[in-house]
Amino acid sequence: MTEESLPSSPSIAGIYFALLGIATVASGLAELLLTASGSEFVYGILEIPGDIFRGGWGGFVVLSAGLLYLSGARNMVDIHQFAKVVMGSILIWIIAGCDIFAMIAESIPGGEDGPWLNTLSGFIETYAPPYSPAVLLLPFSLVVIYYVRKRVFLEGGGRNSS
Amino acid sequence: MKLSAEERWDLIDRISKETVTFGAYRHTLTDAIGELTIKPLTGIPIAIAVLYGFWSLFGSFAGTLCTDGFFVKFFDGYWLPWLQQVFPGQGNWFYVIMVDAGGIESGEFVLSESSFESFGVLTSGLFLAIGVVLPAIFIFYLMLAILEDIGYMPRLAVLIDTMLHRIGLHGYAIVPTILSLGCNVPGVAATRILETKKQRFIMMTLLAIFIPCGAQIGIMEEVVPDLIGWIMLYLIIGYFIFGYILNKIVPGRAPEFLIDVPPYRRPLARNIGKKIYGRVTGFFKVALPFVLLGCVIVGILYQMGVIQWLGGVLAPIFVGWFGVPPETAGPLVAAFLRKDLAVAQLSTIEMTEYQMITSVVLVSIYFPCVATFAMMLKEGWKDLLWALAVLAVVVFVYGGLIHLIGILLGVA
Amino acid sequence: MKILLMGHPNVGKSVFFNRLTGANVTESNYPGTTVDYTKGWMKIDGKDVELVDVPGTFSLDPKDKAEEVAVAMLHENRGALVISVIDASKIERGLYLALEIIEEGYPLVIALNMRDVAEDKNILIDADKLERILDIPVVSTVAISGEGIKELVSRVKEAKPVDVDDIISNATKAADVGAAGDVP
Repeated sequence: MTEESLPSSPSIAGIYFALLGIATVASGLAELLLTASGSEFVYGILEIPGDIFRGGWGGFVVLSAGLLYLSGARNMVDIHQFAKVVMGSILIWIIAGCDIFAMIAESIPGGEDGPWLNTLSGFIETYAPPYSPAVLLLPFSLVVIYYVRKRVFLEGGGRNSS
Repeated sequence: MKLSAEERWDLIDRISKETVTFGAYRHTLTDAIGELTIKPLTGIPIAIAVLYGFWSLFGSFAGTLCTDGFFVKFFDGYWLPWLQQVFPGQGNWFYVIMVDAGGIESGEFVLSESSFESFGVLTSGLFLAIGVVLPAIFIFYLMLAILEDIGYMPRLAVLIDTMLHRIGLHGYAIVPTILSLGCNVPGVAATRILETKKQRFIMMTLLAIFIPCGAQIGIMEEVVPDLIGWIMLYLIIGYFIFGYILNKIVPGRAPEFLIDVPPYRRPLARNIGKKIYGRVTGFFKVALPFVLLGCVIVGILYQMGVIQWLGGVLAPIFVGWFGVPPETAGPLVAAFLRKDLAVAQLSTIEMTEYQMITSVVLVSIYFPCVATFAMMLKEGWKDLLWALAVLAVVVFVYGGLIHLIGILLGVA
Repeated sequence: MKILLMGHPNVGKSVFFNRLTGANVTESNYPGTTVDYTKGWMKIDGKDVELVDVPGTFSLDPKDKAEEVAVAMLHENRGALVISVIDASKIERGLYLALEIIEEGYPLVIALNMRDVAEDKNILIDADKLERILDIPVVSTVAISGEGIKELVSRVKEAKPVDVDDIISNATKAADVGAAGDVP
């Protein structure tokens, strides 16, 4: 009974996460390439980092997240496949979370010669774009929470009826 | 009456047949994610992500937010100038030890400008302890507690098992190693989970030599942020090289390890809070007195000229063998007492990047801090003596090796 | 009176200890968190009782230093009562250690901890039947959330030494009853 409601939605989800995976792989590769060439790239609201720690290691993690999405997007009804997609999102949350936390850490103090706390405008300015690819991918990766909730709900129902 | 193992299992079998029903085993999402974090192909990238997150948050919180954001401003802008003003007897020995050693410029005594350079107990000592080490230790233990309570540590142990077998240890050695990154004292205590004397000896020696504690990392992150990656790399390489050698020469067995990987659990805020509180206060009860006392002793030895004298005697070794400038001899000698202070001291000396890397690595692999020393003594004085012998050899050989690598790379 | 908390590594002994004594022993989700014993005090029927958090051990035949501490602790306290903490999802291995301690003549109470994890794995345990077979108190608990702790404390005084022979005959009897029940 529970299986009937699954097939239609995962295919949409499959396409969605495959596309997200492609975008994520591209971001990861871009970060790695820029790090290798030692430069940085800013375009509109996008800023691709190029230092060894953030661009190199961070880029590797973003690339891994993308590969997890791509390999998990097929046949997402299977719990092991679905877990890969969830893990891909978790990796993006780690990188984006660190990027955002770095902004928070920077926004609060007033700077070397300034007051103790940052001014309101200085505080808000820190959060202005450009953002790293991981931060831009973050909202799209959150979609996975919807599917986790849905699955837990279905599984819970399945357990009670069996 | 006692049963044999076989009879006991037989009885258990009969009991469980009567009392336990096993339903169909279903994979939950948590199980599936648990498997992903253990399989090398997916597990290693995940481990890298976790370590990346650990390091990034550590730097943002301790470095950017706390130390640079507030404490440097407070200590350099208010505390140091205020103490320099109100503390009596500028220039005499007590003032030098407690507040500011200053410097002599064109024959005149000048006050230091920052808490990194003053080397007084109440200035550099307090600044390092509260302004640098406290936030570093706090964020380290917060993140460690979360990883521990989720249940990630045993998975990391399984992942790194093969690598650690090469050095006579097994995956579980990652637990004492990571604990040591906070403070070596609980790290040494945790070596008890290893099975044989050989493993405990190798682990303890490697911890004392190659694993810098949270205080040191915090200070490195503050004074040499660009070089810390290289420094850590040299330490990790040393950990494996000398682990490999120790495994070959220390007699004894290094058995396989069996571990239960627990399911992932949601960490409880209450437990994490309690843990951080316990560990941070524990660290400060042990470390703060040593930091301040160490500052006093180093200050006195400087005043008496002991460190300058030793530095002069040992300078040829430092310059010729390790390839660092002669000015580093003083801090390197002082590092026997206070590693963190020595790193701060080194950062004020002018030298090439490679020399800085070499000297900070040397400070790290030096003699363990007094608290660790006491803990190792508790675990057995014979092992401690052997560990010290290994340490002396390692400092000499590895220091020379780093110099050699530098020469070959053309940077030293 | 003295009570020892014993069981495999990572079954939640330290969680019990903190719950029962209000102490602050480190709890983690990995085996081998406790490497040395910790003592504390708890109240049973208004009396102060000493409780010891013993490092985890798989059997009474120690494999590492932490396990040595555990076994030495047991043997040094001949008059002690033991709370055997068992991971309900791995009950068979837990019973092995419990039986070893029973055979040495210690009065025992069993805490079947992590009932929630066992349920997730679809493992159901008939605690009442287990109690009848072993003839000692068996309490299902989820120590992290505090479930069953009160019952455990109230039943500690029912602990008594039992003879393995009795357990064997109880098990045989239970099997016979079970077999008889299966016949319609």
